[in-house]
Amino acid sequence: MSRTGRRAALLSVVVVAVLGIVALLASGLAHDPKAIASPLVGRAAPDFRLEGIHGSPVQLSHLKGQVVVVNFWASWCAECRTEQQALNQTWSDFRDSGVVVLGVNFQDQRADAEAYLASSAVTYPNVEDTESRTALAYGLRGVPETFVVDRDGHIVDRVIGPVDAGRLGATLNTLTHRGTP
Amino acid sequence: MTSSPAPARPERRARQGTRSGAHPGPRPRLLGPGALVALAIVVALLSLAAVAVRGANKPLSRAEQAQQIAAELRCPVCQDLSAADSPAPLARQMRQQISEGLAAGDSPAAIEDRFVAAYGETVLLRPPSSGPGRLAYAVPLLALVGAVAAGAATLRVWRRRSTQPVPERAPLAAGDRSRVEAALDRWSEEE
Repeated sequence: MSRTGRRAALLSVVVVAVLGIVALLASGLAHDPKAIASPLVGRAAPDFRLEGIHGSPVQLSHLKGQVVVVNFWASWCAECRTEQQALNQTWSDFRDSGVVVLGVNFQDQRADAEAYLASSAVTYPNVEDTESRTALAYGLRGVPETFVVDRDGHIVDRVIGPVDAGRLGATLNTLTHRGTP
Repeated sequence: MTSSPAPARPERRARQGTRSGAHPGPRPRLLGPGALVALAIVVALLSLAAVAVRGANKPLSRAEQAQQIAAELRCPVCQDLSAADSPAPLARQMRQQISEGLAAGDSPAAIEDRFVAAYGETVLLRPPSSGPGRLAYAVPLLALVGAVAAGAATLRVWRRRSTQPVPERAPLAAGDRSRVEAALDRWSEEE
């Protein structure tokens, strides 16, 4: 190969390498860091039995046959306050349609959690994940995080960050086979 | 100054060459390219032998094993910290679960698999073995192959150059030759 040919080949390799790196960086920047796929979606929801904050313990498998909205939250979490109204509304709209909203308190003080529930007019059941075992089983990356479990006990949706009442309502309508609430 | 008989022409040429500062010819190399490669291979083999002579590592304690597993897992609520290094309560709980798993007789792979089942392969600090993550394994391998190929090509070029005969100089024109000979004669007479 002539010297010019060798230079052209070397230049082509460098250009291809630089373009590859730029494409890799661009794809990283275009990726939403919150859109982390959960391997649990489509699989059986990990079972748990946790102590209730105000009532008796709750075991997930005992709720089979109902759609369960498992919402991880904490009193110190600002975004949890943002979504509170949507959760209260969902509970009010769907509680008679075979839907249970279940709050799972994550890494919190009992008194702070109780004060939060009282101040937020929460009426759906809440449990305490004192050792974060349930959080780890659900692959939690922070709060709030919400999982929708269908009647067969399979996770059908996961929301990182505050839930959107419209999206959650649409999912629940599909799962409960009912029309617009 | 002692007089000496006029040297034969080729010797004169050599002296002339040295005086004028021209390169006296290829200098003998201490080590040829082949010898350098052989030396590099010997050094690499000796290093491997030194590691092999040290023997297998002693078995780890359960706490060390737990630490090792936690070091391979990403703390899910931190920025680029392992579960071993993070002070976050969730990382502490991960370490606790790893210790419990080992105490129950679970293998490190089974423990890792449980975290992967919940979090996906992103919980592993080492690059994933599927998707674009495979590039992290392929690139060093490709770089190694490329380096070996480049080294082999360079060696071939060196070898070809060293075996090529030195090109003959064009013969001097008759007039030039007589002038050079006259100058050499004058120079040897001066000496």
